[in-house]
Amino acid sequence: MVVAAAGIGIILAFLALYPTAMLFYGSVSDAPLGVPGHLTLAHYRAAYGDPNTYRMIGNSFVFAAGAAAISLVVAGLLAWITVRTDAPGRALFELVAVVPNVLPPLLTATAWVLLLSPRIGLINVVARRVGLPPFNVYSMPGMIFVEGLILAPLAYLIISAALRSMDPSLEEAARIAGSHPLQAARRVTTPMIRPALLAAGLLNFVRALESFDTPSIIAIPARIEVFTTKVAREALTAYPPNHNLAATYAMSLLGIAMVLVYVYRRLTARTERFVTISGRGYRPHAIELGPWQYVASAGAILLLALIVLLPFCVLLLTSLLPFYSVPTWETVRQLTLKHYAFLLTSDRVARALRISTMLAVAGATLGMLLASAVACLTVRTRVAGRGALELLTFIPWAFPGTALAIGLLWGYVRLPVPIYATVWILLIAYVTRFLPYGLRAMTSTMVQVHTDLEEVSRVCGAGLLHTFRRVLFPLLRPGFMAGWTILATIFMREFSTSLFLYTPRSEPVGPLLYHLWIDGLHGRMAALGVVVSLVSVVLVAGARRASRTQLAD
Amino acid sequence: MRGLTYRAALAGIAGVMLLALAVPAAQGQADLIGAAKREGRVVVYGSMESDVFAVIQKIFEGQYGIPVDYFRASSNGVMDRVLTESRAGKPLYDAVLTNRSPMMILKTQGVFGRYVSPSYGSYPSATRDPDDVLSPSYRQVVVSILYNTRLVKAEDAPKSLADLLDPKWKGKIVMPDPNVHTTTAVWLANLEPVMGAQYRPFVERLAGQVTLVESFLPVVQKVIVGEFPLGITYVKYVYIFGSEGAPLDYVRLSPLLAEAHHVALSAKAPHPNAARLFVDVFTSRLGLLALAKAGEFVLVPGVYPPIKDAEKLRIVLMDDLSEQELKQFRDQVGTLFLKR
Repeated sequence: MVVAAAGIGIILAFLALYPTAMLFYGSVSDAPLGVPGHLTLAHYRAAYGDPNTYRMIGNSFVFAAGAAAISLVVAGLLAWITVRTDAPGRALFELVAVVPNVLPPLLTATAWVLLLSPRIGLINVVARRVGLPPFNVYSMPGMIFVEGLILAPLAYLIISAALRSMDPSLEEAARIAGSHPLQAARRVTTPMIRPALLAAGLLNFVRALESFDTPSIIAIPARIEVFTTKVAREALTAYPPNHNLAATYAMSLLGIAMVLVYVYRRLTARTERFVTISGRGYRPHAIELGPWQYVASAGAILLLALIVLLPFCVLLLTSLLPFYSVPTWETVRQLTLKHYAFLLTSDRVARALRISTMLAVAGATLGMLLASAVACLTVRTRVAGRGALELLTFIPWAFPGTALAIGLLWGYVRLPVPIYATVWILLIAYVTRFLPYGLRAMTSTMVQVHTDLEEVSRVCGAGLLHTFRRVLFPLLRPGFMAGWTILATIFMREFSTSLFLYTPRSEPVGPLLYHLWIDGLHGRMAALGVVVSLVSVVLVAGARRASRTQLAD
Repeated sequence: MRGLTYRAALAGIAGVMLLALAVPAAQGQADLIGAAKREGRVVVYGSMESDVFAVIQKIFEGQYGIPVDYFRASSNGVMDRVLTESRAGKPLYDAVLTNRSPMMILKTQGVFGRYVSPSYGSYPSATRDPDDVLSPSYRQVVVSILYNTRLVKAEDAPKSLADLLDPKWKGKIVMPDPNVHTTTAVWLANLEPVMGAQYRPFVERLAGQVTLVESFLPVVQKVIVGEFPLGITYVKYVYIFGSEGAPLDYVRLSPLLAEAHHVALSAKAPHPNAARLFVDVFTSRLGLLALAKAGEFVLVPGVYPPIKDAEKLRIVLMDDLSEQELKQFRDQVGTLFLKR
């Protein structure tokens, strides 16, 4: 056990600390990385001597907290309806809810601008017709709303996994004691899945802090400065780019994220409170809503319209038009499949799809195996330093994608192993950056499973491996598959880290989408977005099927 | 008769001389092609749109069968990547092509090698780099006001930059944020000598009229979809997107400011011969004609892109900004655009 812990510890420490050390060094060096320099605090003075920095931090916190809150409400409601009730169509809803995770945030944000731009936004056009005032997406509420919807699918996957692993007998007890289903949901279900809610909220808060997609599309026109737009302006588009200053800002984000992880650990320290799967007979059972089931389905459809259907329709329309414009009858005559024809004939597209599918499958599997091992060590054992293990996984994730890429680039470009400029550096980058998503899905499920089941297995003479395979893993499978799904869908279209690390010969889907975007080829970009969504849905459906077949065994 | 013989003799001498010159040149060229083919590929980093680059790529690959790997990024992204790889001691690029200002920075950082392509001889001498590092300007990207022809009639469109300040355009103009987008900063800074005393009041009021985005492409996209009727961006988009059906036209400002683009070879090119051959083709008359056909303004007399009135425009090349000048610009003018 100690050897295993040490091995995993070394792997994690290398993955996390090596690029971090590079970034830290960059933040206190007066020369660009790779050039010998002297130690200095000048970058910290430049970053924090500016009074605007503090207003920017305020904006960033409002933005991130608002977006995380919206994502939790949307995801929590949707997860409860699809997992815990008998609302009709819930299996389909579950599959649809994964789609937006697949859409690059850049595309979703662009789609929302086309829905909510003051002059031409479709929703605003309709609103004006019925005499309602238009909603201006170029504002802080607009940013929060769009980012909240972009983050909701991730929260959905974490919360729904926790709901699926929950012992429903407590809810039943509440019902028998006379509670209404909604009351039971509020008083019993919510506290039981609190670790998952907190985890999802925390992950999304930091993700919003470091996101550049929504800010670049909405904050720049709205002239609202947040963390990432300031970093872009002062460091990345400086002249020449100033990686040292970018590293300095990245270090601040790391500090904020570490405080939040500490708070999270304090809040979930008494894990026993949340144990809900024990030896007492565990059978998932849906809440019967009676006539309310149709209301619940309608609610789910409304939520899905916000997080998937509306932006996806805009994307689909963009992919079918030479140039997007507010749809009229004229639009029908312009419909074309030429962007899809481009996808079929382009070698570049075929190669990118091949590379990204490989990265998604291999990366998600590797990532989840590592996450399971870490979760097992941190939740199930009393090995010294297990808290540090978990902290290690969070370090790289606390950096914005671009900053981490700088650290990785500088780290791996120096290694004697030829990793730089291959797909392997992308694989390492993805696993390094997104491990916490896998780990959260895994630990929040694992803390719910009581150790007595394993103990029974051990008492009956089963070995550690056998116990893991026959008892623990089947119970944890919802968490594992949820984590796998999150990772695979993110890896399928990741771009902010990839952009710094790929080469033309190892170009994955994310950078390709980005390049179609910066080349102004929105039709092709939308068509590729639609295709990638379909590929990811197939991946997710395959994963679900595999997980169910194994359960039947 | 005598005259005829004389002329024939002269022609003969000239012919022999040409042959004498041509043989080593042809031999050198054959050696270069052979060496390039043995290197097997060429890697180019640049900010030229992928579809436009593909035109040259097709010519080069068709002629020599050597594949071109093209890494496309914004001009800033190209500069960043080139600097990072060079400092790490792992430059993977053979040739770099982007706007003048970042190319000048890269030149001073010493990442490029010297190269004079045989095709440089046909360029105006004023555009040649005295240090033989950067190529002459192979294209000029021209900036103007573009408008959506479905929303703005030609007679209602602004006629000058000053017309942008008309209250009727407030909130209806989109342009890149000069604090994030370098070419826009260079463009605004170059307006100062053009506008003289009018400059400061102009930029102060312009900052309050416009909505900002990241770069020139989001500008033209927003104009095409009708989110904003007017945008400040590249004139060539009128052809590139207009030929696909986008409702675009541009304001014939006089003068129109343009930024030069250059190409240069890496000092440590992994495929140096293929890179030279690529630059030869890229900057050749054949290459420039192909670029012009794809919508680019090039320095070949009498050759224009298929953009209406392209031959009538008075185009002035902008001065590049040094690191210090850009910082000063952002402090003095850029901050105007940050105010809400």
